Amino acid sequence: MRSIAVTLLGLSLLGPLGVHAATQDELEAKLQALSEQVDALKTELAKLKSQQQQQVAATPTPSVTPAAQPATPSVASNLSFFGYGEMSYSRPSDHPSEAVADLNRFVLGVGYRFDDRTRFVSELELEHAVSSAEDSGEIEVEQAYIERQLGQQLFVKAGLFLIPIGLLNENHEPTRYYGVFRNFVETDIIPTTWREGGVTVQGTTEGGLRWDVGISTGFNLAKWDATSSEGQESPLGSIHQELSLARARDLSGFVALNYSGVPGLRVGGTVFGGNVGQGQPGFEDTRLIIWEGHARWTPGRAEISALYSRGHISNTAPVNLTLVGNPTLIPESFFGWYLEGAYRVIDRETWSLAPFVRYERFNTGSEYAFIAQGLTPSALPDQQVFTGGFNWMLAPGVVVKADYQDFRHQRAGDRFNLGLGYQF
Amino acid sequence: MSARDLTDVLVTLGVAGLIASPVVIAADYMTIEQAQKTFFPAADDYQEVALALTPSQRQTITVNAGPQPPHGHLRIWAARHQGALLGHVFVDEVIGRQDLITYAASIDTQGTLSAIEILTYRESHGGEIRSRAWRAQFADKQSLEQLRFRTDIKNIAGATLSSEHVTQGVRWLMALWQNALRPDAAS
Repeated sequence: MRSIAVTLLGLSLLGPLGVHAATQDELEAKLQALSEQVDALKTELAKLKSQQQQQVAATPTPSVTPAAQPATPSVASNLSFFGYGEMSYSRPSDHPSEAVADLNRFVLGVGYRFDDRTRFVSELELEHAVSSAEDSGEIEVEQAYIERQLGQQLFVKAGLFLIPIGLLNENHEPTRYYGVFRNFVETDIIPTTWREGGVTVQGTTEGGLRWDVGISTGFNLAKWDATSSEGQESPLGSIHQELSLARARDLSGFVALNYSGVPGLRVGGTVFGGNVGQGQPGFEDTRLIIWEGHARWTPGRAEISALYSRGHISNTAPVNLTLVGNPTLIPESFFGWYLEGAYRVIDRETWSLAPFVRYERFNTGSEYAFIAQGLTPSALPDQQVFTGGFNWMLAPGVVVKADYQDFRHQRAGDRFNLGLGYQF
Repeated sequence: MSARDLTDVLVTLGVAGLIASPVVIAADYMTIEQAQKTFFPAADDYQEVALALTPSQRQTITVNAGPQPPHGHLRIWAARHQGALLGHVFVDEVIGRQDLITYAASIDTQGTLSAIEILTYRESHGGEIRSRAWRAQFADKQSLEQLRFRTDIKNIAGATLSSEHVTQGVRWLMALWQNALRPDAAS
């Protein structure tokens, strides 16, 4: 701009001199005019400079991401990195010598966007801090799938993904549930974190309906260990395959519906079923059906949740006949339900404090198929657990928890728990 | 119906659902132009605003808006009818769970917020924020005190991060308008 002004000034001066001789008055008038033009150009130049400076400062976004889009896409912009974790201290009331401190979960996730419609999502989890031959820790791939957007309301996933069931399975991070530990029903009856390998399609509507339908790997009843108590703790948790050399002769299917068309309300349910014998001799026609229904309502500062789930394995009698004499036979039915209420007594922008109470009733062996007189196991008693405590959201994504659990029929299980969790 | 019948039905449903799902080309739910017309149908001119914030304004907005998720690109237009300002249209991007959500909102000259529109949602998780009823909660809000997450704008169970981040983003827009775009605000 400055060079343009100088050039214009030079041309203005040279031009008249080269054409004809001018009088003193004419020259003075021209100089005066030129002087005014130079002043105008100076003013214009200053205004342009000011505007340029303002535009440099125009970054109205509050984020770490610059307002201007980068001219060239970088690899880093396609990558996303996330994670969560939780650690706990648990002290049984009557047996303090059995108190345990643990880094329960340490999870890192990586996502990568291949194009506008295709992305990869994964989560790698380490349980109990150390995984080795001498330690009980585990390293698990919790999710690893490719997601393709078919339309704005339609996605397809292929790979290892979480089954859309219950309130917890897809939202299992510690900041998302009350209590130091996940509830029993969605651990022992629904084996959270439950994932399978397969293909699923998900759609949502503007009316607030989400539907999922898919086919996937399922359970393997041949993994049932009648000599251990694992099957009594969680029937499905003891025979899940987690896409680790999973037997896949028979596929399972699932359908899930969730409605959240009324702000603050979520109501839904899932049915999952498939053959769990996987064509292996001795496990003919053993089929699993598990279903659940759930609801969550958040009027104001309160939050009320309820869930009921029931599972059924058919044709277990022939299998159990071969296992008679062992402590843990295969149940025909198992079920559980809970009711939970929480209230945010303090609710600030950056932190909150919410006491909660939860009542759970569940049974991992509520019915056994008839084998023969004297051989059929008796149904297990229902277990009832009261849990009361609080979640203190210390900062967005960080939660401190404390609770007390009262086992109505197993007083030895009563315990105090303290936890710390995070999600980013 | 026996367990066998039901499992057969489920597997069949799964396969049928996968096969029957229509494969269409992804497109935005709504273009920027459509959003502008939705918010201010009477406007005959939408002029993009190149906004400059003073350090003092930025500080005030940051404090007033509260915690913010990572944002993408924010664009603003002044909507006018025969030269008279009707309000501002905002198109902002915030992180949902792992990817950016592009959404639009408007604030009229009286400071009244519109319902928001989701222009693009890029991940399957949390897509419930497209619910019409959830988006309508923002309509007619006139202050930051009316835009508290969970209290004024309900959470969506299963889409907590998306609903929280969009609410926080809208709080930024409201704070920005109050401090830098309001007709009587110091510029």
